[in-house]
Amino acid sequence: MNTYIQFAAIKFRNNMAYRFEYLMGILNTVLNFLVYWCIYKALYGGADEIDGITFSMVTTNFIISLGLTNAFSKNEMFLHDKIKQGTIANELLKPVNFKFRMLFEDLGDGFFKVIFNFIPAVIIALFFTHIEPPAGILSFSLCLISAVLGYIVLWEISFIVQTWAFWLFSIWGIVTIKNVIINIFSGVLLPLWFMPEPVMNIIKFTPLDSIFFTPVQLYLGELQGYEIIFNFSKQLLWIAVLYIIGEFFWSRGIKKLVVQGG
Amino acid sequence: MKDIFSLFFAYAKSGLKTRFQYKLDSVVATLAVFLREAAGIIAMYFALLKFDTINNWNINELMFLFSLIFITYGIFIVFFMALRDFSDWIKHGDIDRVMLRPRGILTQLVLCGADWLAALGHGTLGIVLFILSANNVGVEWNAETILYYIVSIASGVLIQGAVFLFFSAISIYFIETQSLKEIMYWNLRKFAGYPISIYNKFIQSLLIFVVPFAFVNYFPAQFLLRKPDMAAYPEWFMYISPFVGIILYALAYLFWKFSMRFYKSTGN
Repeated sequence: MNTYIQFAAIKFRNNMAYRFEYLMGILNTVLNFLVYWCIYKALYGGADEIDGITFSMVTTNFIISLGLTNAFSKNEMFLHDKIKQGTIANELLKPVNFKFRMLFEDLGDGFFKVIFNFIPAVIIALFFTHIEPPAGILSFSLCLISAVLGYIVLWEISFIVQTWAFWLFSIWGIVTIKNVIINIFSGVLLPLWFMPEPVMNIIKFTPLDSIFFTPVQLYLGELQGYEIIFNFSKQLLWIAVLYIIGEFFWSRGIKKLVVQGG
Repeated sequence: MKDIFSLFFAYAKSGLKTRFQYKLDSVVATLAVFLREAAGIIAMYFALLKFDTINNWNINELMFLFSLIFITYGIFIVFFMALRDFSDWIKHGDIDRVMLRPRGILTQLVLCGADWLAALGHGTLGIVLFILSANNVGVEWNAETILYYIVSIASGVLIQGAVFLFFSAISIYFIETQSLKEIMYWNLRKFAGYPISIYNKFIQSLLIFVVPFAFVNYFPAQFLLRKPDMAAYPEWFMYISPFVGIILYALAYLFWKFSMRFYKSTGN
């Protein structure tokens, strides 16, 4: 375990080296939030609430999803680059689990982004906007747990797409398209309360609302008793399903790689 | 002049050949750029099903506003890619190579390379948005409006070209200007897609006076659409986009010419 934490720590320290980069990161985060804040302020046009959703709930949705986007930052070309440069062969010889190592490097990046981009950005945002406090200590703890599960869901999706690098010339296009789908349909660009009913009915059968929207709903105390259990089970179910799919592609890919290397 | 055209086509041919060497990959990558840029407007489409309008702009008018940004960028990137990436050219010493050739430096830079992937991705999106919205925004397309539209597109390309010519000149002194471009161009561009009247005075001023994106899409669109939020700005703003483009480009060109005298090679 210690080995993997070291991978995360190295990534974290690497980020520390680029001080100007992280100032830019804060500015980027604030501006990204500001655009959507202005848009929704204009959309609300002074109204207190639309369909029972207040403007400060929308603001909170954007802040939380932006925070999670920061935390969930990952190097999605990692496996691709290792395969294309051929260094994957050496990586596999190392006595570490390759997948875990990828995960922990991403965690290191994520921790860095949350501490140095997201938290300062929230502090700046608080000067011009009102953010809802969590509905309670229990809601907040549940939100954190489901955010971790959401992270794993998102990471597994990313891992599956990355393994396609074993077969494809470049996965940049597919990674980008995957991120567009996630950004639109999981609540980063549009709070899912405003998603049209027919689209939402489809989203319910995908892992998309398990990533950002479940933590947001828990934070705001929108889910009660049975719903909480249902949403957590859904997240766990998707983690299991996506894990199996990921392992399937990974083992096939590795086999193919061995053949090529021979 | 004929020489310039043949130079452009020779470069374009080799550029396209390199880029589309891997056909399937290029198609997927172009689609990816298209979707990445369309994401914001798709989200707005869903939002406006609930909210109807944003500052009295409906979805068609908003798509029309967005189309100007994407069409101008699609054309811009065919001619100005080398200026977008100018700091890399300096870093890698590629400018020295350009200087040795028997044509003007800027001529070569403008003609030499197009980011065809971005041009197709952004350009197609712009055209799609235009086709979807042009007949649903109450604009009567006659000789006058068509001419105005074409001039606006040209002005928009020139304005963005001028902005990048400024950045290139600055990179002669500082070499690394990635962050400057990130804040002053890419971040402001995120704001520029929407009606600028939704922002506070500070962001509006940036978009009108500093990096004048407002003259790329907002004011030209206002001339054609006449939305009530135009009342907050002087009427003549709708007529000056070409002048903003020409003056800005001329200033940028002079600054660039002046700066090139201080160019020092970074070595090999």
